[in-house]
Amino acid sequence: MKRSRLPLAVTAAVLFFFYLPILILVANSFNASRFAGGWRGFSLVWYKRLLHEPDIWRAAGNSLLIAAAATAVSLVLGTVAAFALYRFARSRLQRLHYILVYTPLVAPEILVGISLLMFFVAARVGLGLFTIFLAHVTFCVSFVAMTVLARFQDFDYAVVEAAQDLGAGWWTAARRVLLPMLRPGLVAGGLLAFTLSIDDFVITFFVAGPGATTLPIRVYSMIKYGSPPLINALSTILLAVTFAAVAASQRLSRRVPEGSG
Amino acid sequence: MSRAGSRRPSACLVIAAALIAGAAPFLPRCGGTRPVLHVYAWADYFKPELVARFEREERCRVVIDTFDSNEAMYAKLKAGAAGYDLLTPTTYMVSLMDSQGMIGRLDRGRLPNLVHVDPEYLKLALDPAMDHSVPYMIVNTVIAYLKSRVSDFQPSWAMFDRRDLRGRMTMLNDMRETIGAGLKFLGYSINTTDAGELARAKEIVVRWKKNIAKFENEQYKTGVASGEFLVVQGYSGDILQVQKENPDVAFAVPREGTVISVDDLVIPIGAPQPGLAHAFINFLHDPAVAAENTTFLSYLCPNKDAYPLLGEDLRINPGVFMDPEVRARSEIIADLGEANALYTKVWDEIKSSR
Repeated sequence: MKRSRLPLAVTAAVLFFFYLPILILVANSFNASRFAGGWRGFSLVWYKRLLHEPDIWRAAGNSLLIAAAATAVSLVLGTVAAFALYRFARSRLQRLHYILVYTPLVAPEILVGISLLMFFVAARVGLGLFTIFLAHVTFCVSFVAMTVLARFQDFDYAVVEAAQDLGAGWWTAARRVLLPMLRPGLVAGGLLAFTLSIDDFVITFFVAGPGATTLPIRVYSMIKYGSPPLINALSTILLAVTFAAVAASQRLSRRVPEGSG
Repeated sequence: MSRAGSRRPSACLVIAAALIAGAAPFLPRCGGTRPVLHVYAWADYFKPELVARFEREERCRVVIDTFDSNEAMYAKLKAGAAGYDLLTPTTYMVSLMDSQGMIGRLDRGRLPNLVHVDPEYLKLALDPAMDHSVPYMIVNTVIAYLKSRVSDFQPSWAMFDRRDLRGRMTMLNDMRETIGAGLKFLGYSINTTDAGELARAKEIVVRWKKNIAKFENEQYKTGVASGEFLVVQGYSGDILQVQKENPDVAFAVPREGTVISVDDLVIPIGAPQPGLAHAFINFLHDPAVAAENTTFLSYLCPNKDAYPLLGEDLRINPGVFMDPEVRARSEIIADLGEANALYTKVWDEIKSSR
């Protein structure tokens, strides 16, 4: 029987659709032309210029700092929230809690951004990196809580109780039984939070204060008035770093079961 | 000592420690006694070496944050964001913000360099007394074309009627700019609120629309650099940069007059460092600094004593320094308040026409 070619064609079309723009961007980062009006020869001039752009690196540093901090804090808060939502699912208070955690996932970003800004202004919190961090935690917590909650829902809590019956304290049970079982959810939630935080533009634009420009804000303002090829070069570097990190993490996670098995 | 009792607090401690560790980088840092000037501007709008020089001279630090549209900047400040000392909005936004009481008066005693500001420019300005705004950079709307491919180029808006260039031209996708071109073609003011004049301008722009490839704000630079488009309506600063890549590109100001866009320097109400902000405005209008900045940005700082310091390519370029007669016919876009609705309606009709 002849197998249908359709799945292959669809896969190819999807890959084409997703990756062609990225490939064009990477190619253009090596284009000597500023306007990409055509190929004007291979050149590293944009990468060289990027080295002399302290503002861009400062913005990239701010973005990484905020993303790392927001991920760490929202992982802790989100996991605790998911635990409460799972253990006390039937209480009326937790149903309210669920709505509170769920709302940021569906609220329009522009609304969240402007209301956070008005709140910070009313509360007299000086705008800056700290307000961006707080804003990112507010939406990252929801994403972490939902991913971890999904993980909680398909595991048997009796395992933890069994551990406690066998003499493990609450902390030991959490560390040796609960956390390892939650790990896929934690990793997924953490990656999600990090990604969302590092490329958020709308909310960040509103709550950023003087001296707190993040990479998306910088890139967005450069598209109109700066040098777009610099953005291509920067994106290519970020892509390379991301691919390297993903490849490394897959390597590492593959090796663990082999070694222990 | 109960087992559970000793464990639970430690879990809380771990959570608390993680929260503190997460927030720690954002706690106020001490040290650094130098005052900081916070500038909120378009990206790459000051030559970095000049900013470094100002920092040395004034023993301060300059921190520049960027916005990508007048409207986004306005929305943010209107909602209460504060802490900026100096802004660079476009004139129409300056008049809007000023009418809302968001802009402070300037202390002319701290701005001795304003004597260098070009009086010819001030004749056109919305704030000719420089009471709350100082012009920073000017850009003219021009017509750019490829010298080798367009025969018999005329510096006139009538170029967009040329049948032989059909489908190879673009105009700006900008309500005020493009209707403004039609109004200027007919000899009217670009800030007119006369419905009859607007209706006649609409007919002209609809006629052009049938003859051009599209209304376009960004891709026209690429298009004219690569030869895809032969005639484009664009901004002089951008075309000067395209010229560096394709010397075949030339540009001219239409003789009927054109739109002059200006970004101003203004100090918002409640700026923490008004003294430094005044010093920075004064610094930017030092003729040598203005000339260096103009050369770096390809926009023109309207500082008459900086003009002789510019390179010849800029100084004798009629697309940058307009012929006095053409300049007399050119205008700056003003905020029209409620009359903006007239333009929106005409623009909608142009966009939906076939």
